[in-house]
Amino acid sequence: MAAVAAAPSRKTETYTDTKRRDDVRGANISSARSVADAVRTSLGPRGMDKMISSGDGDVIITNDGATILSRMSLLQPAARMLAELSRSQDAAAGDGTTTVVVLAGSLLRRAQSLLAAGAHPTAAADSLHRLAARAVEVLHGMAIPIELSDRDSLVKSASTALNSKVVSQYSSLLAPLAVDAALSVVDPAHPDLLDLRDIRIIKKLGGTVDDTELVRGLIFDKKASHAAGGPSRIENAKIAVIQFQVSPPKTDIEQSVIVSDYAQMDRILREERNYILGMVKKIKASGCNVLLIQKSILRDAVTDLSLHYLAKAKILVVKDVERDEIEFITKTLNCLPIANIEHFREDKLGYADVVEEVSVGDGKIVKIIGIKDMGRTATVLVRGSNQLVIDEADRSLHDALCVIRCLVNKRFLIAGGGAPEIEMSMQLAAWAKELHGMESYCIKEFADALEVIPYTLAENAGLNPIAIVTELRNRHAKGEKNTGINVRKGQITNILEENVVQPLLVSTSAISLACECVRMILKIDDIVTVR
Amino acid sequence: MERVMKDDTIQEKGERARMASFVGAMAIADLVKTTLGPKGMDKILQSTGRGRSVTVTNDGATILKSLHIDNPAAKVLVDISKVQDDEVGDGTTSVVVLAGELLREAEKLVNMKIHPMTIIAGYRMAAECARNALLQRTMDNKGNTDKFRSDLMNIAMTTLSSKILSQDKEYFAELAVDAVLRLKGSTNLESIQILKKPGGSLKDSFLDEGFILDKKIGLGQPKRIENANILVANTAMDTDKVKIYGARVRVDSMTKVADIEAAEKQKMREKVQKIIAHGINCFVNRQLIYNFPEELFADAGILAVEHADFEGIERLALVTGGDIASTFDNPESVKLGHCKLIEEIMIGEDRLIHFSGVAMGQACTIVLRGASEHVLDEAERSLHDALCVLSQTVNDTRVLFGGGWPEMVMAKEVDQLARKTPGKKSHAIDAFSRALQAIPTIIADNAGLDSAELISQLRAEHHKENSTAGIDVITGNVGDMQKRGICEAFKVKQAIILSATEAAEMILRVDEIITCAPRRREDRM
Repeated sequence: MAAVAAAPSRKTETYTDTKRRDDVRGANISSARSVADAVRTSLGPRGMDKMISSGDGDVIITNDGATILSRMSLLQPAARMLAELSRSQDAAAGDGTTTVVVLAGSLLRRAQSLLAAGAHPTAAADSLHRLAARAVEVLHGMAIPIELSDRDSLVKSASTALNSKVVSQYSSLLAPLAVDAALSVVDPAHPDLLDLRDIRIIKKLGGTVDDTELVRGLIFDKKASHAAGGPSRIENAKIAVIQFQVSPPKTDIEQSVIVSDYAQMDRILREERNYILGMVKKIKASGCNVLLIQKSILRDAVTDLSLHYLAKAKILVVKDVERDEIEFITKTLNCLPIANIEHFREDKLGYADVVEEVSVGDGKIVKIIGIKDMGRTATVLVRGSNQLVIDEADRSLHDALCVIRCLVNKRFLIAGGGAPEIEMSMQLAAWAKELHGMESYCIKEFADALEVIPYTLAENAGLNPIAIVTELRNRHAKGEKNTGINVRKGQITNILEENVVQPLLVSTSAISLACECVRMILKIDDIVTVR
Repeated sequence: MERVMKDDTIQEKGERARMASFVGAMAIADLVKTTLGPKGMDKILQSTGRGRSVTVTNDGATILKSLHIDNPAAKVLVDISKVQDDEVGDGTTSVVVLAGELLREAEKLVNMKIHPMTIIAGYRMAAECARNALLQRTMDNKGNTDKFRSDLMNIAMTTLSSKILSQDKEYFAELAVDAVLRLKGSTNLESIQILKKPGGSLKDSFLDEGFILDKKIGLGQPKRIENANILVANTAMDTDKVKIYGARVRVDSMTKVADIEAAEKQKMREKVQKIIAHGINCFVNRQLIYNFPEELFADAGILAVEHADFEGIERLALVTGGDIASTFDNPESVKLGHCKLIEEIMIGEDRLIHFSGVAMGQACTIVLRGASEHVLDEAERSLHDALCVLSQTVNDTRVLFGGGWPEMVMAKEVDQLARKTPGKKSHAIDAFSRALQAIPTIIADNAGLDSAELISQLRAEHHKENSTAGIDVITGNVGDMQKRGICEAFKVKQAIILSATEAAEMILRVDEIITCAPRRREDRM
């Protein structure tokens, strides 16, 4: 009897269990979707910006999806997964951080209705995996190969990335700048590697974004030391990067100098002077006339006295160089850092035509140009009328550089303006008809979900989304693969002719990352609180 | 009545105590039940600690390890899962689920007024019989290298199919098998290094012979060295300080201070020279190398790596066959590490140092790539499971089919035993067989299949002699496990049966729970 009684009770238990699991999944999906909805309006060239005010009163204005999401203090685990999704896209491709989240949101919406219709979450997740693989194939089919020597195409794709940003009116300036900066650091020995750490972006308040420039050389966001009237311009500079200090000696063991009478004090002062003078002489003897001094926490890197002597010796001094910048500097100047005065030799110096201090806006910077045998690095000086614009310009420039990096890694371009998404959606829907059962049904739904991108683009541009999307479908059905939304003209055109192009990597990584994230959310059936 | 125990001590007896342990253990089993099988679900583990970090996982051991548990019986289950993880690395969920099912059956028997000791005796007989049944059906391809390798591949794929790596399981199974075969029978997984680098996709992961150190080469030093002699050290490279507290030097002039400084520099220079005198061309230190010695090394053309972490240098010392040195006075007594080539490589965005052709041939590195930290962590856990199972299988080469096949084989034998056994024990043996069948049932349920239908079909199949039928979750039918290549290691299955039975036995024996009074803290906030 016990066994009979146990059987139905077990049945009800499983029943309540699945109910709770559906609740968890539902809660996950809806909170993830609300995150996606929050960034939706900032998609595309006519997308709106968001103003984020953080707890400590800082304000940021941006329409960069990754930035918005990383600043939102999200608590719900699934919502945080979307924020991470956008960060992954930022790391993988650098652009399309909003697109990927919007895509994931739309896929989740379809998944929700699939689950409601009785699909098993793993079935939906598996078909999503197949869909992602197939979608990438479709994208490859649309791609246009590109050569790195084709500067025009590179500029075009960089400007597509910039067009949706606050600084879009400057895209004609920033896009070529980003391309030149990126191409100048590509090492011919490793043509498919582009390390963005070789490009330094220095932000300086004042002027307008128009004044942003690419500097073939090195810039320090610092003044040259003027404590004792040292030179501020040096031609035919011989530059030394030093990691020791030009100041009175200090030992590692604790020491104290004991002075017992006046004469001794005098002698000590004199000794100190001689000690420093000796160092300066050694420096001067090597022919060095520009000194870059690493910041030191243990003791003063320079003192007034040593600055005075260095100024007398007509040596330009830049102090407080951070230790982690040393590698970049030595690479650019093609010199070696010097860690001890004994090793101060001429072969460790770097050479440049001009080192000068220039006033920029309210501050001054030190510029080193005409470097002999310059390493493969680049420096961009970003200007802007206020901090918010500068920060946004910096972020936009980073996106543009990432776009170029994608193209260096994977040399294919693809049309923008919603064209790839519509094409994927159509081809996948057609593919779904060849499949059977639940898989076919799921893929059909998810294929429809991809239309969210052109739909949102049109909506954000103030166009009629339904009219636009149906028209797009119509044109794609006729085989015009590259028709997309031309937001500027407010109509549908061949988007390639409008120069709206983006790297293939951005689209492929957006679709595969979004699918992976949605699969993960679908497979979760419980949230457990742990230590 | 006089008080025997302290205030606040809670005592639960007899039926109540047993109920409490049953409920606790079953709750734990039910929690992880849904992660079982290739279509099992994942859990979000949300930490209550700082940062509220989130882990998404499907690994039973990881879930159980992080739970807050207050029920003693539940703790027993968590412990067996931990032991299973340490011993064989896989089957951490199965063992808990099986123990839970055994207890669920035992509860019914207890309600039928069968004494727990009788149940235990029955379970013991059944477990022994089940194990023997498995033993008879194991396959051993020890002699045949090709076949053995395909066995290993199948096991790896079966293990990985329930994990995040399932989509690329062939690729990762290949990786894991290659890595384990390099070990040549040792179960020391230390020499397989798993390196996680965000970016790219899981497919971009690769196996690399040699060792990769996630550090930078010092400035101005060679980026490529052939036939390297490596000195691995843990020594201070700033200064050798006098370690007496309050020691200080008194001087009466600036020159003397300068002299001391020069002497310190000189001491450092001598130390560096001593290190160089070992005849090395690569120096790896656990502590920082300051600018001054760094430059000295650069001048001597030696590749110096600073601030390698503890694990890093220990592993490096192991694989290159060197010692970790901290004094440098006797160059002849220090064993140097050797490798054929050191070079800087790029993985994704980062530069790393690659040591190839190391002295210990078994060593290798698996570099995992993936979209995010979550994916990477989960991938590492999955790969670790696969590596554990494989390394165990290399030693114990007996292999079984998977997909619920072993459970059905055991259930059949146990059923026959039940029929032969007179007395109340036979009820317990019967119950054991039902508990075994619960595992394929759960696998089918998790995949959203009709479990009642499938299990009865499967049982009918197994009524024939030497059937190889199991549940094929992918197609949702009963299928031939031999053709599908779904395999499991015998050692894992054996461990599951034995430890689950033992755990159930232990919990069944309980008839009193005494919760001791918590120690009082005087000044609570």
